[in-house]
Amino acid sequence: MRSRAASSLPPTGSGAIGDNERGSEMRPDIRSTVALSSLLLLQGALACRQPVVPPPRPAPSAGLPLRGGQVIVATTADVTTFNEYQSTGEQGEADAIDLLFPTLMTEQPDYQLHPPSFAPRLATSWEFSSDNRTLTFHLRPEARWSDGVPVTADDVRFTFLAQKNPAVGSLGMEMKDFIKDVEVVDPHTVRFHFTRVYPYQLMDANDGHIVPSHAWGKVPFEKWRTTDFEKMMVTGGAFRLAAHTPQQTIVLDRDPTYWGSPRPYLDRVVLRVVPDLASQLAQLFAGQVNLVQAVSPQEADRVQADPDLRLVEFPSRMWGMVGWNNRRPFFEDRRVRRALSLGINRRSLVDTVFRGHAKLSSGPVLSSMWAFNHNLPQLPYDPDQAALLLAQAGWRDLNGDGILEHDGRSFAFDLLYPASNALRRQMALLIQADLARLGIKVRPVQMEFTSLIARTEAGDFDATIWVWVEGTRVDLTSEWSTPSPSQGSNNFIGYSNPDVDRLIAAAREEPDYSRAKVLLDRLQELIVADQPATFLYESTMLVATSRQLRGADINSAALFFNVDEWYWER
Amino acid sequence: MTLAGAIPRWPRRLRAGLGLLAALSALAVVGPWMAGDPTAIVDPKVVGLLPPGSVRAVVVRRDGTTVAGDALRRSGPDWVLVRGGAEVTVTGSEVARAGVRRFWAGTDVVGRDVLARLVNGARVSLGVGALALAVALVLGVGVGLLAGWRGGIVDALLMRLVDALLAIPMLFLLLFLAALFRPSLAVLVLFLGFSSWMGVARLVRGQVLSLKERDFILAARAIGAGPWRIAFRHLLPNALTPLAQDAALRLGDLILVEASLSFLGLGVQPPAASWGTMVAEGQEVLANAWWLTGLPTALVAATVIAAALAADGLQELARSET
Amino acid sequence: MLRRALRRLGAGIALIWLVATFTFLLVSAAPGDFATRLTDPRIPPAARERWRRDFGLDRPLPARYASWLAAAATGDLGSSWIYKQKVSSVLASVLPNTLLLTSLGLALELALGVALAIVQLRRPHGTGDRLITLATLTAYALPTFGVALGLVAVLSYRLHLLPPSHMLSLEGELAHGWARLPDLARHLVLPVVAIGVAGVGAVARYLRGSLLDERLEQYVLAARARGCSPRQALVRHALPNALLPLITMMGMSLPFLVSGSLVIEVVFSWPGMGQVMYNAALGRDLPLLLGGTIVATAAVVVGNLLADLAYAVADPRVRV
Repeated sequence: MRSRAASSLPPTGSGAIGDNERGSEMRPDIRSTVALSSLLLLQGALACRQPVVPPPRPAPSAGLPLRGGQVIVATTADVTTFNEYQSTGEQGEADAIDLLFPTLMTEQPDYQLHPPSFAPRLATSWEFSSDNRTLTFHLRPEARWSDGVPVTADDVRFTFLAQKNPAVGSLGMEMKDFIKDVEVVDPHTVRFHFTRVYPYQLMDANDGHIVPSHAWGKVPFEKWRTTDFEKMMVTGGAFRLAAHTPQQTIVLDRDPTYWGSPRPYLDRVVLRVVPDLASQLAQLFAGQVNLVQAVSPQEADRVQADPDLRLVEFPSRMWGMVGWNNRRPFFEDRRVRRALSLGINRRSLVDTVFRGHAKLSSGPVLSSMWAFNHNLPQLPYDPDQAALLLAQAGWRDLNGDGILEHDGRSFAFDLLYPASNALRRQMALLIQADLARLGIKVRPVQMEFTSLIARTEAGDFDATIWVWVEGTRVDLTSEWSTPSPSQGSNNFIGYSNPDVDRLIAAAREEPDYSRAKVLLDRLQELIVADQPATFLYESTMLVATSRQLRGADINSAALFFNVDEWYWER
Repeated sequence: MTLAGAIPRWPRRLRAGLGLLAALSALAVVGPWMAGDPTAIVDPKVVGLLPPGSVRAVVVRRDGTTVAGDALRRSGPDWVLVRGGAEVTVTGSEVARAGVRRFWAGTDVVGRDVLARLVNGARVSLGVGALALAVALVLGVGVGLLAGWRGGIVDALLMRLVDALLAIPMLFLLLFLAALFRPSLAVLVLFLGFSSWMGVARLVRGQVLSLKERDFILAARAIGAGPWRIAFRHLLPNALTPLAQDAALRLGDLILVEASLSFLGLGVQPPAASWGTMVAEGQEVLANAWWLTGLPTALVAATVIAAALAADGLQELARSET
Repeated sequence: MLRRALRRLGAGIALIWLVATFTFLLVSAAPGDFATRLTDPRIPPAARERWRRDFGLDRPLPARYASWLAAAATGDLGSSWIYKQKVSSVLASVLPNTLLLTSLGLALELALGVALAIVQLRRPHGTGDRLITLATLTAYALPTFGVALGLVAVLSYRLHLLPPSHMLSLEGELAHGWARLPDLARHLVLPVVAIGVAGVGAVARYLRGSLLDERLEQYVLAARARGCSPRQALVRHALPNALLPLITMMGMSLPFLVSGSLVIEVVFSWPGMGQVMYNAALGRDLPLLLGGTIVATAAVVVGNLLADLAYAVADPRVRV
């Protein structure tokens, strides 16, 4: 009996392809062992061996996609609730909920050129009033819930009330701060009233899926936190909930009463919970699942080499930095911070860790965003210049121990990173090696993730490797403006520059995005000049699918962006 | 009879087990001097994830950076490295060391020499493992003897304490302690030992309970032997069999559990290596690089086998002398 | 006897309360809380403070403890913050899955261990004995995930004999009632074998050592003298006595029975207590953690009680 107290960590490694050949000679002494094991194997073999196949498909019409079939998507965790307004916002949940409930519009992945545009979904059209304070949506008259009840403006208003209700306490409540009210003009026309005009009115109005007032309205808002909404699932999306085995599988069947067009080709989408990323890939290779969302950069080559698989790569909105605690004496001086950025070979780090599946980050705004300043200087790897800056800032190695000193203090600090992430550990090691050459002693410290967040929130750290996943909204307030104690802040590094604060506020208020861009360009210049953090990388998203799954436009907007158009080829 | 004279008469298992343990310990003590720097990152792009036995040409510059390639040649005072199709020239004045090296155990993702990490890790793993085992044994045997011998309320209280410690989610205790203490080897040894002694205590208590009523113990009590004497001269040697077996297996457990503690920030921190952390870190690239997990696992297995053989041998020795 | 059992039960309840209280303090003192993980930059930081208030995390510790205790004493363990269901229903849905797996695994371990030990003793120090020792020790020293992944790689991905994960296949989940049983059985094989193989080393070695000791005892020699074959003497006479230390070990395994193995559950995507408790720990889901701790403590208490009773029954000389 094993007595492992603090039992081992969940494995995040790749599936073992190398076999475990326990060679043992067939001696008469171990007959019993062999007999026992054969019995076990026999049991397995007696049951018919049937790999999972999609349900049988009808013969294809010439040139047209096949109808039918199922797609099995591997996810790392189960959905904890199908009611978005109870949820803590895990990404996997958002994908599933998007298949089941409609939004007014669908956000498009075109934020490279301008703030994202929207395509009709529940709403066929919409217009602003002349003063831009009122937004009117015209809803599809044929839209229906899965139980046949029409989707009306009442549902939209009901959803808004749920989103704002403090007893419900939904995560996105603050998004609706500038929406005063949602008015039902007639069953298919709904009007949003804003308190002010700003660039993201459409986005905020669209945030959150519409939920059925006739079904869920029966539950008073005070009880929403503790009600199990799965027992009263009435859905309005292309798929409906067919089965949910907790921690195992979610089966979503195509809803034949779906009002959208064209109707999806697929009959079923299955979300299979496989917590271990390596097992997800192994099952993809074995044909047990058809789609894996997060392929690690080290496995990308293996996927590309497999003739039965397809690797989809697109710029994600995930980017990483080394956050220097600007309040600590080490990192107060911007010359020192600049020296640190010059002294880390960021290009080599990104190449080594991501193997080409990431690019260098230049600044606080993602390079795939419309707001990105293309004229930003890219900091080179220049250890000589770095040494010069450090000397100018007063750091010298006086006692010959190889480590810089200043004011009686050695330049030695802890670099925190979450233990669960192998890529960040590799980055920490490379940063340690690079900075050691400058005479700076970096101590990588791995921590459990929640503890790490708690420490950074409290400002109790020197430096940390931190990764943000940005939204499609460009608002630098929470990350880069001076933290105010009354409202929380994501600016845990404590960066403070009054000019930057003013510009951020101005950009936020500016309704015209091209004028906002001018402000944002200047903002980025200032922040990059200050180097409050060392901007490391912007990663790409790697999604692996079966090669025979066609029509899937998997992009940064959503995994199931155009699931209506997915189909199997023979 | 001297020790040297007695050894050849020991059971073969004992000799084999102790011999293997001695070899592993020698590896841990002497190896690091011979194997090189386990933390040196050698040009990850060329030297990363090499299988065992690979050969690469490495040039180390004076500033500490390394450049590696498939082949090396001199060109006047300079060195020329051949990398794939390209050639890289390093001026002679910049070069600290240049040569061709064979990575006997391969390299990891960032290009560190696995052999160097294995022998340096041996020090940490074997040392921490043995010390933690000692802590667990001392605590466990002490508590087990006390509880089993005294019985009654002492037994009840101690066993409830053991139960409580087994039921508390260890993860939290360790998280909490990780927030209080800076990671150090002493802290690691204490935590490991402390998390492991309960099993030993229960085992010893069980043995004592059954031995307590046996004739030879009753006889010893009859002639007036004190509890300490009984404990060490009579109880413990007879409880040795299961205890030795348990200790051997526990050693392997402790070495691997150390990796979990590093995950929480309590164990050895990178870039220092231990077998446990090497196994955990190698999990992520298991399909591409079996040696990163396979080699330290083999060494842990060797340790466990050696300890178990020694335990078997000890048992035989004890049996042959009764 | 009955009075003693009742006293143990009372002590057990006291222990459960103590451990739960200690866990409450520990979780509250650990860095971070449930709201800490809401670091999505799209969520305004003000939302985090709001969530703290909504989940009562801004109330002082004694007040929170008192309300939890008052509810728990009446049997209401509250709702899990992560799973948004009652703690009792979360535990009730995963506990049977874990029990199924771990009980079968332990049974396999025991059966295989006994079988191997007996085989080894046919010819102690012979080649078979040595090979089995080597094999079982290697299997024990391998990290659990290694054994599990190895089994899956060979028996599932290579040979396609068994499914690689989950409790049921897709077809099995959509079926009902008894039709599920063969599917479940097929899915049980690999994880049970993984647990059994990983732990059999300990059982086989204890038994081997124990049996070697018992073999020399008087009563065994007496049995041989009466005409029993070596095998009969071993199995019928020595084995029951050699099983005694094993009983203690089984008692120690009851916590494992209830809390499962996180590694096995992750590799095989088995919806068990291990994963649930681990996620609860990382997510600082206090009600669920307390519920799980109570279940685990109860298992420990019951396990020890049973082990001690079994010991007393098996060896009448022992007075518990």
